Amino acid sequence: MEFFILLSAGLANGGYYALIALGLVLIFKAQDMVQFGHGEVFMIGAFTAYTVFAVVGWPYLVAFFAAVLAATVVGMIVERWLIRPIAHMPHMTLVMVTVGLSFLLKGAARIEWGKDIYTFPAVFKSGPIVIGEVVLMPQQLVLVAFTLTLSVVMYLMFKYTALGKQMRATSQNMTGAQLSGVNIGRVFSSTWAMSGAMGGAAGALSAPVLSLLFPDIGTFILLKGFAAAVLGGFGSVVGAVVGGFAVGVMEKFVGFYIATALEHISAFVIIMLVLIFWPKGLFGKKDVTRV
Amino acid sequence: MRISAFFETRWFPALFLLFLLVIPLTTNNYFQFVINLVLCYVLIGFGQQLILGYAGQFSFANAAFMGIGAYTTSIIFTLNVPILIALMAGGLLAALVACLVGLPALRLSRVYLALATIAFGEMTTWVLTHWNSVTKGGDGMYSPVPVFFGYSLDTDTERYFLIAIVCFVMVMIAQRMLASKFGRAFIAIRENEMVASCNGINIPLYKTIAFALSGFYAGVGGGLYAIAVNYIVPDNYDLFQLVIHFALVMVGGLGSMYGVIVGALVLTTLPEVLREFQHYQEMTYGVLLILFIVFIPRGLAGFLKDRRILPREILVHGWKEEIPHVREAAKTAAVFNVGAGAEDRGEEH
Repeated sequence: MEFFILLSAGLANGGYYALIALGLVLIFKAQDMVQFGHGEVFMIGAFTAYTVFAVVGWPYLVAFFAAVLAATVVGMIVERWLIRPIAHMPHMTLVMVTVGLSFLLKGAARIEWGKDIYTFPAVFKSGPIVIGEVVLMPQQLVLVAFTLTLSVVMYLMFKYTALGKQMRATSQNMTGAQLSGVNIGRVFSSTWAMSGAMGGAAGALSAPVLSLLFPDIGTFILLKGFAAAVLGGFGSVVGAVVGGFAVGVMEKFVGFYIATALEHISAFVIIMLVLIFWPKGLFGKKDVTRV
Repeated sequence: MRISAFFETRWFPALFLLFLLVIPLTTNNYFQFVINLVLCYVLIGFGQQLILGYAGQFSFANAAFMGIGAYTTSIIFTLNVPILIALMAGGLLAALVACLVGLPALRLSRVYLALATIAFGEMTTWVLTHWNSVTKGGDGMYSPVPVFFGYSLDTDTERYFLIAIVCFVMVMIAQRMLASKFGRAFIAIRENEMVASCNGINIPLYKTIAFALSGFYAGVGGGLYAIAVNYIVPDNYDLFQLVIHFALVMVGGLGSMYGVIVGALVLTTLPEVLREFQHYQEMTYGVLLILFIVFIPRGLAGFLKDRRILPREILVHGWKEEIPHVREAAKTAAVFNVGAGAEDRGEEH
């Protein structure tokens, strides 16, 4: 029976890994770069939700939207004032800037929250839902449902809407897209806004599940998101979601059946093994090198 | 005479060594400690510079190599092994691990390499924290007082001589190496792998060499760092340490030997000067990293080079002497003002 308990716990964690991976994949698809500051976007979401819900005492729904709004605004500001002026530079430069950004945001959060650990109070007063021996927290169900809905929306958006098509065009060939009348500034702006919104939503939704918050949480979460995205094959929306749930479940199984201490590094082992032996992941396309 | 000419003279290394040996006469204990750290960071920064600035591989693993070097040196030294051998062992183990980490680099490019190495770095911190029997876990351990040929190095000044000599020798080796075919191969790989392989550069071999050397410098630097601060904790070798390395290379100047020295000097003394603002340390490094990448991509060394204070680092020295007909051609060209000032146009690697 422990199999199902582990499975449900793993899927619940996988929910926010998938959300983080989605945010990373979005930016990767549009700009062919990895956002190392995405963990801090999550942190901003989580701490905004904490402030509104636990400190101010407003309803959780308000806290959720505040978190999404805050993270979206941060994403847009970063894109407009930091990334766009240097968008033409090599990818290494862009990635390095996001590494700097990550530490800038983390340092800023430290001014207010220091090195302490904060407890996020329970949102749903009703107890856990028990099916057989499987115990499910309502918050976990909300998280998983939200992730699944959002990923379907994202998939449809990329496939059918004008904005989604413009995003795909821009990532394939920026100049070509520009020549065809795509406003790439708008594309980048909306990409970062959506990525930020997802990071913020992930923060607000998973804060009650994690229940412990600290300014360093971003790095920890970001690496899980990397694992999910890499497993799914960086650049695939479906892959990010499947990868997220897979990493969540795998972690729980490794932690239970092999050794508890291994739970936290299984994500890193996944990253390394997948990249070494199977770099295109579950749903990725093969990288073509052009001369 | 331009100031930069001073650095290019034949006797500059000897003079610099003399300068290094005179420093302790002018310092107190605290100042000496900071200078020790600067020298350690010169080596560590050089490890980062080699892999990032010269070979152009976006590796996130150098903080882990530094940790491996620091722990290996300290642990081996407790077994009564001479300090220089312990340092070498730390460097060699880090180099070996770096070779293994570099293996995926032969297949992976850009962001994928960054992700693989960042995962490796986190795993190393985890191992250092959880391997209690060897590393004493997350609380860290005291690094033993180094003994140099039966003479115990108790004070910072005594340690300084060990650090300074190791550092000087290794920097000299590095400088010679970068002026050789290794340096040229690294830069060729950085600029364009396709072109490099078309020119007969064995890319897997040179990438592995770059990783090994980078690991070696980071490992020895880490070992010296452990000696200098006398205490090692796993948390010291996490992502933040890596950001310090990145900032050091970026502030100093990417792909420049002088850059490493300038960067180490600035970034090691800066936190000491801004002691009251320790809460803002993470922010400071983040902001510095962003500012330098965006506004001063060639770093302080580039800035100083433009003002002729530091010499340009030219990849291929000595063609003037070696190939007479080229020299003649250059002279002729100079007469007609064709190739005049080729050096000034900055054919800098």
